[in-house]
Amino acid sequence: MNLSILLSGQLLASVLVLASLYALVAIGLNLVYGTMRLLNVAHGELVMLGGYVAYWGFVRFGISPLLSALIAMALAALAGALIYIAVIRRLFRSVRLLQRVESNSLLLFFGISIIVQNAAALAFTANNRGYQYLDNVVAIGDARVAANRLAALAIAATACFACVLFFRYARSGMAMRAIIQHRDAAALVGIDVDRINVQVFALGFALAALAGALISTTQEISPFMGFPFTVSGFVIIILGGLGNLTGSIFGAVVLAAVEVYGVALISPSFRSILVYGVFIAVLLLRPQGLLGRSIRAR
Amino acid sequence: MIRQWHIALACLIAIGGCAALPLVAGPYALGIGLSLLMWIALAESWAMFSGLSGYISLGHAAFYGAGAYVTVLLWLVVPLWLAIPVSGLAAALLAGCLGWPCLRVRGPYFVILTLGVSEFIKYVVISTEAGLGRNGRLLIGTPSLGVLFEAMLALTVASMIVLYVVRSARLGTGLLAIREDEVAAEAVGVNAPALKLLAFVLSAIIPGMVGGLMILRSTYFEPLQAFSPTTSFTIVTIAILGGSDEVPGPLLGAVLLVLMSELLWARAPEIYMIILGALLVAFVLFVPEGLVGRAQRLFGAAEE
Repeated sequence: MNLSILLSGQLLASVLVLASLYALVAIGLNLVYGTMRLLNVAHGELVMLGGYVAYWGFVRFGISPLLSALIAMALAALAGALIYIAVIRRLFRSVRLLQRVESNSLLLFFGISIIVQNAAALAFTANNRGYQYLDNVVAIGDARVAANRLAALAIAATACFACVLFFRYARSGMAMRAIIQHRDAAALVGIDVDRINVQVFALGFALAALAGALISTTQEISPFMGFPFTVSGFVIIILGGLGNLTGSIFGAVVLAAVEVYGVALISPSFRSILVYGVFIAVLLLRPQGLLGRSIRAR
Repeated sequence: MIRQWHIALACLIAIGGCAALPLVAGPYALGIGLSLLMWIALAESWAMFSGLSGYISLGHAAFYGAGAYVTVLLWLVVPLWLAIPVSGLAAALLAGCLGWPCLRVRGPYFVILTLGVSEFIKYVVISTEAGLGRNGRLLIGTPSLGVLFEAMLALTVASMIVLYVVRSARLGTGLLAIREDEVAAEAVGVNAPALKLLAFVLSAIIPGMVGGLMILRSTYFEPLQAFSPTTSFTIVTIAILGGSDEVPGPLLGAVLLVLMSELLWARAPEIYMIILGALLVAFVLFVPEGLVGRAQRLFGAAEE
C-alpha cells in the first residue's frame, strides 16, 4: 500500500464532495431535532424522493437535474409542512405523548419511513436507477473528478454557506436558533414557535431533497437508499453536537474523512464498521459532541 | 382467588393445546405457529426490559443474531440440547458487555446507540465471515419442524413467566420507578445501574435461544439476515400494537402482526409493509396505550 495516496488531491476531492452532501442531510436532521426534540428516522427517505424527482425530471422530460432539484426542494418543503400540520401538531397536543416525545417521534417517523419506502418501491419498482449527466472528467491538479461531482460539491457547499448566513442574520433563522436554545423562553419573547416549527420542517426536508437530487447525478438511486443516509446523518449530528447547526458541517467533514480515508487505507468492506465504530465511540465518550461544552440531560 | 385459578387453568389448557398442535397440524400451519411463538417470545423478553424501564432498545436483533451465530458455530460440535442454552448465555454475555457502557446514556441517545451497536456487530460478523472465506453456512440434518415448535413453545412460555415474575418482583418495581423518574428512583434507594444491567442481560437470554432455534428452522446462516435491524423494529412495533409492559400485550400484538403478514406478505409485501407503517403511526398517535391498555380502559372498570 502506498501511503502517498493520503496526500493526493483525489481523496481530498472525494472527502469534500461527500462532506458537502452529508452536511445538507445533517443540517435538516439537526434542525428538526434541535427545535422539537424529534428523531426523524425518515429523513433519508427525503433524500431518496429528491433523487427520484431529479431522475424522472431528467429521463421523462429532459429537465436538468440542477433545475429539478429546485422542484424537489419545493415539493419536499410542502411535504414537510404537511407532515408537521397533520401529524406532529397532534403529537404535541397530547401531554402523554409529549412526555416521551423522542421515543414516540422515533416510532412515528419509523412508520412514515416504512410507508414512504414501500410506496416508492410500488410506484418505481425496487430496481436501481441511474442516468448520465455531466459525466465528463475534469482534472484539477493531480485530481480527476467527474463534473457532476464537482457541480454537486459547488451547489451543496453554497447551500450550506447560505444556511449558515440564514441562521446568523435572517429573522426566522435567529428564531430557530432561539427555539433550539430554549423553547419556552423563545415563546415568551414573542417568537411564534408553531409557525417557526412549520418553517423548520419545510427547510429541513428541502435540504434533504436537494442532497438527494445532487446525489442522483453521481450514483444510482433505489427506494431503499435512504436508511444509510439517515444513519450517517445521526452520526454527524452527534459528532457535531445535537442542536449545534454549524457543528453539523464540522461533523460531516469528519465523517466523510473517516469514510474516504478509511476505505482507501483498509478496505471498502470496512466502511460500515468504521461509520458505526465512530458513532459508538462518540456517543459513549463525548455524547455532547466533539465541539459541545455541556449537555442538557434528556 | 377463584378467578386466578380459572386464569391459570385456561393458560395450562392453552399451552397443552399448543403442545398438541404438531400432532394434528400440517407443516404450513405449524410454520405460522412457529413464527407466531417466535415473535411472542421476542416481544415478551423485550418488554421485560424496555417496557418496564422505558429504555427503548433497538438492539435486540443483535442478541437474536448472536444466538443464531453461536448455534451455527456449535453445530455438530456439541449436541443441540447444549448448543441452544449456550447460545442464550452467549447473548446474555453480549448484553452484559454492551449494557455496561450503553446503559449510562438515556432517552434518544440510548435508542440510537443500541441501533448503532447492533449494526456494528452485524458488520463485524460479516467481515469475520468474509475473512474466514465463508459465504453463508448451510446446516444439514436439523431437527424436524415439530421438535422446533415444541422447543419454541417452551421458550415462549418461559418468556411470559419471566415477564410476569419480574413485573411483580422488586426488580420490576425498581424498573418501573426508573421509567417514571430515574433521578428520583435513585434518590429513594433504587440501585438503577445494577437493576438496568440485570434486566438488560435477562432480556437477552431468550432472544439468543430463539435465534438459535430459528436458524435451525431456516437451515441457512447469513449475517445480513440474522442480524437484520428489521427484527428489532418489528419487536418494537409488536410491543406498541399490544401495549408494552404486561404479559397479554406482546401476545396480542404478535398475533395481530403475524395474522396480517400471513394474509398479505406473500401476495403484496409492499402493501403489507405500508399497512404496518400506517398502523404504527396510528397507534402512536391515537392508541398510545396499545390494544391491551385500551381494552383495560374500556372493560376494566366494569369487570372489577
